[in-house]
Amino acid sequence: MMKVPKVAFFDFTCCEGCQLQVTNLGEELLELLKFLDLVEFRETMSERWDGIYDIAVIEGSITTPHDVERIRRIRQRSRTLIAYGSCATIGGVNGMKNAFDLEEILQYVYGEGARFFTTLPTRPVHEVVPVEYFVHGCPVYQPEFLEVLKCALLGIPYHVPDVAVCVECKFNENVCFYERGLTCLGPITRAGCNSWCINNGNICYGCRGMVSNPNERGFLEVLERYGVRVEFLVRRMDMYNACRILKGAGKRHGEEHTR
Amino acid sequence: MEYLVLPRSSFDLFVEYLVRRGKVVAPVAKGNGQFVFSEVRKGSDIALRYILTILPPKKYFMPQYETLAEYDTRRGQKLQPVVEVEPLILFGVHTCDLAGIQCLDVVFSDRPKDLNYLVRREYITVIGLECNDYCDTYASCGLMGTFLPQGGYDLFFTDLGEYFLIHVGTQKGEDLVRDIPFLERAQSQHLAELEALRARKAQIFRPEVPVDRALLPRMFREGFEAGVWEEIGNRCLSCANCTNVCPTCYCFDVRDVPDVNLVTGRRIRVWDSCQNEPFAKIASGESFRAERSDRKRHRFNRKFSYPVKRYNRFFCTGCGRCSRVCMAKIDLKETITRLAQETGYLKV
Repeated sequence: MMKVPKVAFFDFTCCEGCQLQVTNLGEELLELLKFLDLVEFRETMSERWDGIYDIAVIEGSITTPHDVERIRRIRQRSRTLIAYGSCATIGGVNGMKNAFDLEEILQYVYGEGARFFTTLPTRPVHEVVPVEYFVHGCPVYQPEFLEVLKCALLGIPYHVPDVAVCVECKFNENVCFYERGLTCLGPITRAGCNSWCINNGNICYGCRGMVSNPNERGFLEVLERYGVRVEFLVRRMDMYNACRILKGAGKRHGEEHTR
Repeated sequence: MEYLVLPRSSFDLFVEYLVRRGKVVAPVAKGNGQFVFSEVRKGSDIALRYILTILPPKKYFMPQYETLAEYDTRRGQKLQPVVEVEPLILFGVHTCDLAGIQCLDVVFSDRPKDLNYLVRREYITVIGLECNDYCDTYASCGLMGTFLPQGGYDLFFTDLGEYFLIHVGTQKGEDLVRDIPFLERAQSQHLAELEALRARKAQIFRPEVPVDRALLPRMFREGFEAGVWEEIGNRCLSCANCTNVCPTCYCFDVRDVPDVNLVTGRRIRVWDSCQNEPFAKIASGESFRAERSDRKRHRFNRKFSYPVKRYNRFFCTGCGRCSRVCMAKIDLKETITRLAQETGYLKV
């Protein structure tokens, strides 16, 4: 029997809601705990660990110089890193900050106290340190997290589906939101969530990021046909995907990858 | 095989009878004018007049996710085959979808035989339902000649107003209806009414595109480089709606899903699609069909050309689902018309 792997959870700039999804696993969590040793998980325990992590699960995006230092230290102590949740994988909601002047936004948020804080443009974890696995979503879809975790424990790759949410949505035989007069980001958002939101009567907000090769021109024609204004769609996309503008920003801000 | 008469007033009784025999699935309204095959408990649950369901009945014959085998790494490469079956009565299948099931039968009976499909197939009783008129304007069952029943059912219903005429197609169908007291043997006037309906239908269902069906495979071969492929490729979002809803698309991916203990697990298959970006990507990272236009052309050829060569059968049933569901409004009839224009196969 192999050594029981040491697993730790860390949060950066985020709401910690994705970690709550782990605690919400219920009985599956108990089953899981038979096969791994949870050594750090601020949301559920006060113990700390000073050794090497077999798997570090990172929630949140990197938004301050302190974040950068901290994620680098965690990376150095981790055999495998899992970026966990939209903030960590694509920047997520925090990416909205990047559309503003950083000094201005600092003033807006902290007012007088702004001088005590420093801020950086929001980046997903993999733009700062190498990442082995990605669990997209806001919050993460529990069954996918379990699949990724099992792959990480086995040391085999997990392929995030590079197909539209529509694929799984059709598997679930939902009535298309466009037919119901609503705008949904499913056609350009990558699958893997089992069309969780649409199954429950909500549109897709694109929290998993876009497919690798969306047909932008084709999608514009579709939007036109359904009477959706492009600005409306872009704004909706920016809720989770504003960081996509910053591709390669790691270098622009003088940040070198540590490994 | 014989014809039976079910008075309309006894339809609910008939459904109750079926429900007592096992799980019954039939078309059910899902809102927004759309329908799905779903479990029913009584006659009034069933939408007898329906536009084709979002997914075709293939979801029962080859489910979206299906376990093929269970493994235990302590036993090395030895897999325990698994077939997940459930006796099912499938009611209200239109003739195009019956043709779709027949296509799947052909494919999965081809060598190497697909035991998961063939075993499950045995557990499903198929009850067809005739279309008296077009469901909507997307269908092309006139062109494909699928608006009349051509087998593939255990029982087949025709709605003739006051009563349903039931054709008993198989021994399985015969066994199902043998003991039903409110069914009567059809008389000559019933059969005459059926004939009259079919004669009316022959007037209603005409080729929706003026091309010769027999020449379609040749037209697709000759139109391989036609401009229409690029044109629809530019519009396609690669959402794979068209293939997922197609009654004859059967491509799948196979994955291993480990259990939490990491020692045991399941081998599953999941629907896949030639329209998906990664579908034809190989280990080196190259893709055989990197362009959307290549993928669109492939899909059409897999309906109108390749299977005709291999199985002597069109794999388009004219159900119209791919056109109905396409956000980019890539329309099958329009595409065939455009191709026929480009290749000179359009009848004037």
